[in-house]
Formats: sequence, structure tokens, C-alpha cells
Amino acid sequence: MVSTKRKSTQHPLEEYIQRLETGKALLKDTPENIVEVVGILKSYGVVLDAYSRNLIYISEKQFLVLFPFFKYFNGEVNPQKLLRYWWHDRINYEYAEYCMKAMFWHGGGGLDKYLDTDEFKELADRAIRARWKGNFIMLGLHKAFPEFLLEHTRQMSYYSGLGQFWRVMADIFLSLSDRYDRGEIQSIPQVVQHILDGLVTDAAKPITYSVKLAGKVYDLLPKSAGLTFLMDTGVPYVEAIFFRGTPFLGTVSYNAQEYQIPFDQAMFNYGALYADPLPIGGSGIPPTLLMQDMRHYLPDYLRKVYQSKIRKEDDVRVQICQSFQKSMFCVTTATIQGLAPHPLDTKDPEEKDVNRAYLKGWMNRFLTSRLLEVNR
Amino acid sequence: MLSALIWIPIAGAILMGLLPASWESRRCRKIALAIAFIPFIWTLWLGIQFNTLQTHLQFVEYIHWIDWLGLNYHLGVDGLSFPLIFLNSFLTVIAIWISDRSKERPRFYYSMILLLSAGAAGAFLAQDLLLFFLFYELEIIPLYFLIAIWGGERRGYAAMKFLIYTALSGILVLASFLGLVWFSGATTFDYEPLRNQNLPIELQLALLGMLLVGLFIKIPIFPFHTWLPDAHVEASTPISVLLAGVLLKLGTYGLLRFGVGFFLDAWVILAPWLAILAAISALYGAFTAIAQTDMKKVVAYSSIAHMAYILLAAAATTPLSLMAAEFQMVSHGLISALLFTLVGVVYKKTGTRDVKVLRGLLNPERGLPLTGSLMILGVMASAGIPGMVGFIAEFLVFRGAFPIFTIPTVLCIIGTGLTAVYFLLMINRVFFGRLSEQFSQIPPVAFREHLPSLALTALIFIFGIQPAWVVRWSEAQTTALIISPALQSTIIIEQKEATGNRQLGNKQAIKQQATDIS
Repeated sequence: MVSTKRKSTQHPLEEYIQRLETGKALLKDTPENIVEVVGILKSYGVVLDAYSRNLIYISEKQFLVLFPFFKYFNGEVNPQKLLRYWWHDRINYEYAEYCMKAMFWHGGGGLDKYLDTDEFKELADRAIRARWKGNFIMLGLHKAFPEFLLEHTRQMSYYSGLGQFWRVMADIFLSLSDRYDRGEIQSIPQVVQHILDGLVTDAAKPITYSVKLAGKVYDLLPKSAGLTFLMDTGVPYVEAIFFRGTPFLGTVSYNAQEYQIPFDQAMFNYGALYADPLPIGGSGIPPTLLMQDMRHYLPDYLRKVYQSKIRKEDDVRVQICQSFQKSMFCVTTATIQGLAPHPLDTKDPEEKDVNRAYLKGWMNRFLTSRLLEVNR
Repeated sequence: MLSALIWIPIAGAILMGLLPASWESRRCRKIALAIAFIPFIWTLWLGIQFNTLQTHLQFVEYIHWIDWLGLNYHLGVDGLSFPLIFLNSFLTVIAIWISDRSKERPRFYYSMILLLSAGAAGAFLAQDLLLFFLFYELEIIPLYFLIAIWGGERRGYAAMKFLIYTALSGILVLASFLGLVWFSGATTFDYEPLRNQNLPIELQLALLGMLLVGLFIKIPIFPFHTWLPDAHVEASTPISVLLAGVLLKLGTYGLLRFGVGFFLDAWVILAPWLAILAAISALYGAFTAIAQTDMKKVVAYSSIAHMAYILLAAAATTPLSLMAAEFQMVSHGLISALLFTLVGVVYKKTGTRDVKVLRGLLNPERGLPLTGSLMILGVMASAGIPGMVGFIAEFLVFRGAFPIFTIPTVLCIIGTGLTAVYFLLMINRVFFGRLSEQFSQIPPVAFREHLPSLALTALIFIFGIQPAWVVRWSEAQTTALIISPALQSTIIIEQKEATGNRQLGNKQAIKQQATDIS
């Protein structure tokens, strides 16, 4: 008699594969987790809203401004704002740029591919010539070094792409908070479902980018390019920021010549899901800026949770980072569910096999992540 | 006036003992703190009244006590003792401040601390050998109890070892004092007449030898030091602060007051050997500190190394080096108090002082960032980084001793270089790197817990930037130890003309000058 029982090798994160197959999230569903995740996503939503507005402002209003001294002022420069900026009582837009550059560096997705097409080069060239119309020095330099301003234009496209992506995500997170306040969200799977619904709703939302120069509009990412929210900005964002990240952690010095950094960028694992929350607050650690920004917008119920801990709000940035990491595993769950080849709770054995292979692929990447720590 | 510095703590100690047994530790601590503040404020007031230009005793109190024995209640303060009186009253406040608020048997504990403070003050103020000895011995009793009752796991062993060593020290010091009085034919134990004794040099050497061994145990100097690391490790933090900051200074104070003050001729003969011993002790302390894994032991062995600089400076016997010895006492008192206080904070919060276990405590959110920062400053001060009191003290010591004992001074300079080695090893391990997971939930340090460290750090900087505020107290007096006041003005002028002149610091040359002038 032939055994029909499927022989499966046990994955070290088998428990999480099973959780996903049964409709659960990567993060455990506990009352404190729900408070932390929703609360942190609310403050994240507020911060993302500000980041996205600034990214879009830079892409549209600071297009090829070589010395953009006031790019973080969103066009409103006055002594009062300048003093607040110097006093550091402000949103750290540098973090948004850090994410944009990480995305730009890692690439991936339709946006990255499109920026290397001849069509984009032609559009960019037109915009560059319009930007420097009458400036023979800059046009001469552009002719001598055609890649320089073109690369800047690609970067501007990423400013816009990430700005548009975060615009959508900010709304998803803020509406999640509203629903929680109304009592409609009471579990982690509901949080994941809300995020998944938001991603699916806007999945096909076109990503476009144009600049207005001397009263004329120049398209850089035209609608005809067919770039969409989910596959061309969302997935590359998750890959670049959640998984890969950049090996500039501040507290750890890597020696690339000693192969302490993987040769292949695709093997990087310095992203948000791997970030060590304890060094937060040390110099040179970019997530510190995000935690610092979110600190200003924590809802009262989350603040109470933090105040109940041993250090109260003394270590609030570490606590925020820990909550943020939990929330990012929820976003990742939604992404995994959204990109799954078949519904994860399918009963069809063949579909189940395909899903399992797909989930194992994800789990392999989670092996060194903080997945176990956030669930401890 | 000076009696208040002795009798207020003693009265306070009695008062503490009479407090209702039901009173909680927190309340007892407040009362003890209030009592300790009185001598401190009193010391500051005396400091304002003190004439720094005078070399003779000030605020003298003299009461006939036991005439047939030659023992009198004779107190006085001069430039040699005033800085140490300040250190004693200040560190007593610090020690009580940092004492655990939930101390068991608090009435007895604070009584003992106040008694300890009174004993140290009495020893510094005494102008009578027997009176000095009484106070010198008096502080042993409370310290024994403070280690034996509130110490660590091996407190019994450490306290007994301390008792045996310091009792032996007391016997040797007493024998030396008695010999000095009897053989010199003095009728009292008063300091001043004994300074002019004219005993045969062989006898002086014998008496000085006994005195030195007694004081070396107290300081301690290698190889008489073995009680100190045990005492420090087992004593609670406040007691370590008092032990390192004040009580060890009784030994070095004795070197200057009695060794140089009473046996100058014999001292000069032994000086080269004392300098060599100082160098050995400094290097031994430094190398041993490198091998330690207990933070408190690192600081304790560092203490042995740094106390040796005082011996080196005292051995050189120049006006500059003697002033340096006094400055180093103040410097070491402040720095060691700071380091022990901070080690205490680390221990209280993490439950360990093991440098192999601790890691990453400078973590800005969950570590002890201010404690770590202050520790780094304390370590820098100890290693003699400019701008802090340690630099001035060590510079003065080496500058004063180098022309007289070049090789021992160079060895001590190597020792001070090693300070950076053992302390940086400790700092690197304990405070840098990623915070260990097991210490990621340590409680925060309240501002009131930091206040003593901040006060000590402030003084370390203030005296490092403005050393004259320490030097002015003792300059005239340390010079007077080896030069008569009439000669001082002449010497100071020559000093300015020929800084670094080797002969200037040589006692024999100075004596020759004195003969020539007279």
C-alpha cells in the first residue's frame, strides 16, 4: 500500500507556516499586541502623511535644485519655522530620504525597470533641458556628463514614487486607527485584514510623476508606463526597507573586504524586520529618527502601556521600535497573504503544496529576523 | 570650633542610637544626613576663616587632660590637615546620601558612619600623638562593624582581615610614638616640641621604620596591601567611598605629618628606598588592576597604584613634591569616591560588577548612559587627562619627584599610563558594545542617585581647572615641613629663578643654605 501522507521536512519556523495556513498572522494575537500595533500604526500614519507630503513636494518643487537648502520646509520658509528647525522641534524628513535612497539603491519592481528605459531617458532629457533652459553652463555640463542629471531625475522619480506609496499607506493606517477607536478592530488578524484590504483596493492605483516647468507640464512617469501602487512601489518598498535595508547601523562596523557584508545585495538582511531595537537612540542609526518622530503622536492608550513598563517613557524610542517591529510583521503578513499564489487557507492539496513552497521561501528569510523575539 | 567637627558626629551617632527602633530606614537616613551636613557646613565656614598664608596652627583648642601621661586634648588645623578635613566632611555627606534607603539596622549603621567620620576628623585635627592614636584606632571599630554587618558574602573574612592588619598598624604607630617621646625626653605628646627632637640617627631610623610599616599597612603600600581589595569588595558602596576617600588618607597624612615632620633626617636617608617602593607599588597596583574582572577590584587596585604616587612625592621631600602629595590626596579622594560611587550604581542596578558579564551599559535608552558618561570622566581624571584634578595632581607629583628620583618617577609615569589601560579595558567591556539582553530591563537611575556623582565630578573639574583653590590651602604648610618660615621667601625666589634645579629639592642642600644664611 502506498502511503498518501505527504512527507514534509520540518521547517524551523514551521509553527509560523501553520499559523499563516490557518489564517493567523505572524504576530501573536494578544490584547497588548493589538494595542501596541494599532497605536503605533496611528502615530506612524501621521508621520507617513508628513513624509509623503514632503517627498512629493521635493519631487515637484525642488526638481533639480542643486542646493535644496529648504527642501524640508515644504515651501514655507519663515524665521519661526527656521528656529523650530534648528531647535529640532520638527519631523525628521531625513528618514524619508533614507528610505527613498534604500529603495533607489536596491531597485526592483516596475519603477526601477522603467527608469532604465529609453522612453524615460527621453522624457527626463526633455525635463532637464526645460529646467536649465537658457543656462548654457548647465546644459553644457549635461551634454558632457549626460548621466549626472539623468540620475538625479531618477532619484526625483523615487521621491515621488515613495511619496505616493506612503500617501496610500498613511491613509490605511489612520483609517485602521479610526476603526479601532470605533471598536471595529479587536484582533491582530483583523488588523492584517484591514491592511490587506487597503493594499488590494489600491493595488492598481497608477503611479505617475510630472513636473511643471515654466508653466508647462513634463511627464516623467506617465500613466502609459503602467506603473501601479502595489507591484511597482509596494513590493520593492517591502523588499528594500523591511528586508534588505542598508548595512550602516551605527553601532556595528562592517568590513566589506572581509566579506562581512554579503556580496549580493539580495542577500542583505539589515531591514526593519531584522533591526535590533536596543541600540535605538545611538548615533548613526536611521530608525532612531523615525522613532523620534512617532514619539510625538502616540495615542494616550499606547502611552499608558509604555508608562507601565520599568523605565516608563525613558526608553520610549526602544519601546516604539519594538511595537513598530510588531506592526511591520502585520504589514508583512498582509503582503504575504496578498502575494500568495493561492488563498492560504485553501483545501486543495496541490494549491497547498504550492503555497507551502511559497511560505517556506518567506520563512527562510525570516530565520534571522526578529520574528521569534516579537512573539516572545 | 574644631571640636564641633568631632563632637557633632559623635553626638549624632549617640542620637541615632536613641531613635525609636520602629523608625524606618528612610527617616534615619534623613536624620543622619542632616547631622552630617552640620560638620560639612562648619568646615566650609572654617575654610572662609582660614588664613592660608599662615604656617602655624589655627583655631587651636587646648585642654589639659591627663597630665601625668602627657596626653592633652589639643586640636588645631593647618594647611596639611584642612583639605583632608574638607574631604572627610564632604565624603561623609556623600556616603550617607548614597546609602541604601532600605538599609537594615539603620540606626546602628548611621551611628557607625558618623563615628567613623568623627574618628577621621579627630585624627586630622589632633596635635597630640596619643590623641591622634586614639582617633586613629577609634575609626577601626565602626569600620569593622560596617564591613562585618553590611558587607558582601565574605564580609566576615574581610572585616577580620581589616581588623588584624589595621590593629597591627596601630601597634606599630603607637610603638613609634612612644619611642619618640620617651627617647627624646619630652614630657608631653604634643607635636610641636617633638618636631625639634634630636635623636641619634640610628634610633630615628628604627622609629621611622616602625612608623612607616604601620602607615604602609594603612595606605596601603605593596606588600602590606592585601586587606584592602577584600575590604573594598566586601564593603558596601558608601563604606568604600569613605575607605578610599578618607581613611586611607590617614596613612599618607601620617607620612607627611610624622614621617617628614618628625624624622626628617632619617626620612631623607630612607627616601630613595621609599621612592623605589612607591614605584613597585604603583606598577603592582596597575598590573594587578589589569587582571581584575570585578569593577570594584579594578578601582581598589587602582587606589593602591595612585596612593603610591603620594609616597613617591613625599619621598622626594621638596616643597613642590610635598604640596603634590597633599594635592594627590585630595585628587585621589575625589576620584576614587566618584569611581566607587558609580560602581555602586552599576551594581545596584544590574546586580553584578563582573566585567565579563556586563556589556553595553552606555545604551542611551535602556542602559545607564549618565552613569557611564560620568564613569568615563572619572576614569579620564584618574588617568590624568588635562582639565581634571588628576592631571594636576600627577603632574605636580612627577614634576616634584623627577629631579630627585628620576627612575622611580619614570616607573610611576608608566604606572599612570597603565591606568588608561586597565580602566579602558573595563570601560570598553562594561559600557560599550550592544547592551546585553539580560540587562535590557534594568531600572533607571534617579537624579538623586546621580547627584553625589555629579557633585564629585564638578569638583574634579573645578580643581582641575583652578588648582590654586586647593594648592593655596597647603602650599605654605607643606613648605614649612622642611623649611623654616624665615627661609621660605628666599627659597621661593630661588625657585622661580631656577625651576627644576635638582639641588633645590634636596633637603641637604636646603639645610646647607639654612646654615649659610644663619
